[in-house]
Parts: sequence; C-alpha cells; structure tokens
Amino acid sequence: MGRKAFAPRGLNLFGVQRGAFLFGAALVKRRIALGLLHSGSGSYALLSQASLIGAQAAIAAVNADAALPVQFTPVLRDPGGNADAYGPLCEEILRDSPARHVVGCVTSLSRKEVIPSLEKLGGTLWYPLPYEGFEASDRVVYTHACPNQHLLPLLDWALPAHGRRVYLTGSNYIWGWEINRLARMTIMQAGGAVLGERYLPIGAQDVERMIDEIRATCPDFVLNSLVGASSYAFLRAYHALGLTDPRFTPERCPMLSCNLTECELPPLAEAAEGLIAAGPYFRGSSGWPGAAEFGSSHEAASYAAVTELARLLAYHGAGSEDWPLAHLLAGAGGPIDPGTHHTRLPVIIAQVRDGAFKVIQHRGDVLGDPFLSRNLTTAALPLRVVS
Amino acid sequence: MKRQVRIQQLGGARAVILHRPHLNVLALTRQLRAIGLVVDEAWPELGAQALAADFIFFDADMGYDGQFPWPAGEAPMPMIAMIGSEAPGRIEWSLQIGAHAQLLKPITGSGVYSAVLIARDAFDRQRALAAEIADLRRRLDERQTVVRAVMLLMQRGKSEAEAYGQLRQMAMAWQISFEDAALRVVARYAAEGGDDQRNRG
Repeated sequence: MGRKAFAPRGLNLFGVQRGAFLFGAALVKRRIALGLLHSGSGSYALLSQASLIGAQAAIAAVNADAALPVQFTPVLRDPGGNADAYGPLCEEILRDSPARHVVGCVTSLSRKEVIPSLEKLGGTLWYPLPYEGFEASDRVVYTHACPNQHLLPLLDWALPAHGRRVYLTGSNYIWGWEINRLARMTIMQAGGAVLGERYLPIGAQDVERMIDEIRATCPDFVLNSLVGASSYAFLRAYHALGLTDPRFTPERCPMLSCNLTECELPPLAEAAEGLIAAGPYFRGSSGWPGAAEFGSSHEAASYAAVTELARLLAYHGAGSEDWPLAHLLAGAGGPIDPGTHHTRLPVIIAQVRDGAFKVIQHRGDVLGDPFLSRNLTTAALPLRVVS
Repeated sequence: MKRQVRIQQLGGARAVILHRPHLNVLALTRQLRAIGLVVDEAWPELGAQALAADFIFFDADMGYDGQFPWPAGEAPMPMIAMIGSEAPGRIEWSLQIGAHAQLLKPITGSGVYSAVLIARDAFDRQRALAAEIADLRRRLDERQTVVRAVMLLMQRGKSEAEAYGQLRQMAMAWQISFEDAALRVVARYAAEGGDDQRNRG
C-alpha cells in the first residue's frame, strides 16, 4: 500500500463524510497500520509489557467500536531492552509497513534514539512513559507525566511532610541524572540539604554502598530514580534495613519515586510496602478520563495514546493517518497541547499500603510543562487531601 | 567553578527571528513557543522591538551589518546564527556580528533549546569578562595615582610599606577600591598643599 500525499486540512474532501460514517448503516472502517515498539525482555521489561498491554487493549477497543471509522493493524517490533535496537527497528516499521504512527519506547535513551528515524521517514512516536522533560519534539507525543506532573508536586508534598534532608539515587543515564538535578535544585531552594547522590549502571545490583550511606546520613526521605533490576535490588535491601533499624521504616524515612507503578509491585512483594510514588493514575484512583480500569499508569497512558490517535484520525477523516503531527493536533481539541505535545494529566501522590497504592493527595489536572517555563506546578492548588 | 544553567527564566522571554518568511522560521517559532518564549519575526531589518528582545536569531546566509541597530559585536542580548551555507565568509560574518551560538538549517526542533542556553551563557560570560577587563584597565590607568598617594603618605613620616598598608586600610574602611582610596588621598592632601607635584608648579 503506497503512502498517500498529505492533504491540507482546507482541501480535505473526506472531512464532510464524518457524519455519514457515524450514521451510515454499514460503517466501513479504514485499516491503519500502527507500530508498536516494545521490549519483551531486558531490565525494564515489566514497564514495556505494561505499556504493550495498554496499547493492545486500546487497539482491541478501537477495532470493536462500531462508531469509530478506524481499524488498527499492529506492527510489533521487540528491541529486547537494547537501546541501540530501537532506532533500526523503528526505521523498519516506518520503511517496511505503511504505519506512520508508533507507540512505544521506555527509557529516554531509546526515545532519543528513534527521533532521527522519525524525522527521516516522517513518523510520529507516541511515548507513554514518565520522563525527565526538556524535550518537545515535533515528532513525538508525550502521554505520560513530565517533572511538573511528578517530581515537583512530589517534593512539594514531601519537603513539608517529611523534612528537607534528602538522599538521591538513580540509574546512570539521563532519567536519573536530570531528575536528581531538578530535585537537588528544588531541595536547595527550599533550604534543604542533599546528603548523598549515588548512581548505578542500568541493570547493576550492587546497592550496598547506597544502603551504607543512607544508614550513615539518616535522611528524612530517599528519592529513588533507579530503574528495573537495580531498583528492585535497592528497594529490597532498604526494606531489609528497615526491619532491623527503626530509623528506616516508611514512617520515619519513606522511599519516594516518580516512576514506580503497580506493574513493578509483584517482584518487590512485601518490600513494596510503604513506597510512595507520584503519577497520573493509580488503580482505583479518580480523574482519569473514561471509565476503563487499568493495571497501572503505563497501561493507562499507552491506552490513551492509541485511543486519542483513533479519535484524531476519525475527526480529520480519510488520509489523515499520513498527515504531519502538527496538522493532526491542530484545532482537534483533546488533552494534548498542540504547542508542546504534552498532555493534561491528573497529578496524584500515592503510597503502597497492604499491597496496593492508596491515594495520599490528589492535586487535580495539570498540563505538562516540559521546559518548566510556565509555572504550572502549583496551578492545581488548592490541594485536595484524600486520606 | 561549576556553572549552573538557569532554566526557569525562559518563560515569557522574548525572541526576535531576523529571517525572511520561511519554513525554517516556522519550525524555529514552533520550538521556541514550546519552550515558553514569546516570538516575533523581523525582515529585513530589526525594528525598535529588537531592543527589548532577550534573544536574537539571525539569518547567517542573507544577513548584513545594516540590519542591526547596534555596531557589530555589541548586541545587548545573546545572538544565535541560523546557518545554511557553511562557507567561511559567512561564518566569519556571523562571528563579527556577534553570534554566541548557532543552529544549522534545515531547522527542526533539535538543538534549539541548547542553542538558547549556550548563547545566554556565552553572552553572560562575555559581558562579565568585559566588565572585569574594563575594571582592570581603569585600575591600570590609576597606577600613577596610587604612586602619588603613597608618596604623599610617606611625606607624612611613613615608610613605603606603612603608606601602602594605610592606603589599603582606608580602602577597606571606606569600602571602595584601592585605586579610589588613592584618588581620595591625592585629592585631600593635594588640597592641603602637600603634593610635591602641585607645589612644584
């Protein structure tokens, strides 16, 4: 199937048929290929799989929706958690299939790797994971949270609630570095102190030094920006420390995170108890658009990416799957800011209690502000304290 | 010294793009607005609005000196060159006019944010260095005044080292520079008629 030439909105002859599609007796669905770039293995496979589950559920829902003139055909590629495989596989999707839209990537490293392929071959990435901000590619839609939707509200809550002496951890790449840089800046501006800041390579599990430093410095809370296996090893070791030393229980020195969701609770088991996270969705929380229930915010954000794409393609009519992203988003409404391609999302702080996240604070909806230039962090105040 | 990049003062900052209407301008405008800046366009000359701008993006390919309301190299804000032709003559002109950073055409979103931050840092450093050099130059120019002040104090029975020490203490007490303290000493004692050079005349 050859790609159609881009038709400017004003010349879209198919747009007038939108109503006919909805009210016609036999709705003919447009078959549209949709790339899925998800790792089935590797250090962060749980996140990737949660995202894939959400995307596939949304594809099934779109395909089953008789009112939507769109039918997605998934084109799945598995980079196996290897950051260097994302670019070539994204290129393969865009080159070998008619798909112009791809949902996927987990780490920022992998997202940065695919952007040149998107630019070269005219593709769009729907990126459904939390990230560190400071990006607004015209080829990417960001459907999960950025720092004004996770880190800054989390610190805004934690500094008065627990204290200003903080220990920072992270994986050795852009997510950990940038989250901790922003955290350090925010903590210093609040008159606090960073007692330690330590990193591990992705996948590394030698967490003893971090645990020793935390025991020695006795912070008010710890911010954990490790990912995958490193994070699990660290959280298990910290849980074990809390069992023998009451200074490191969740009540005295909680463990905070901007990216922990339900999908990573199974490998943590009882070590997850008391963990605190910020995110746009937790199982059972309110504020997420639509009535669907999700396993985690990764599922929810991936689901939303696919359904929002389907809505935009239905809104603009036939051929719009080949339009540039800017035209697809312009004037179409919805939760995505056409200026930054970031999303309006609920901001929720929750804690694992009895094996499930319970909402501590619901801060309402906040628009993603990737460059922190719009001061949107506190826009949702006054706060609504839930429990 | 560790330099910290200021990230939170870009919201509402003003950028002027000095370039003829073009797709490159659209892409740059889109990205600057995503970052949070307010964007204006100008061509072929920067209007009065440019003086209120926080950043100037200028076309290195078609640009010329007369477009700018200030002498080459003296822009009162960071300047970013939009470079298509990498011919040495054009790079040379961009440097002369005062580029603090550059973007390569065709312009996409990539590189815009770093160009803004790097240009601002280069501009700030350049300005701080210029101020420091001006201060040092002024202090060099006052060498003769310092010598006169020390000699005046020595005429009142102090050794050279004591005179120097006294001058330094005066500067600290008055919270002014060493050279300014010397100026005051010369002015005071010269008025009292203690300055040999004046008496000699």
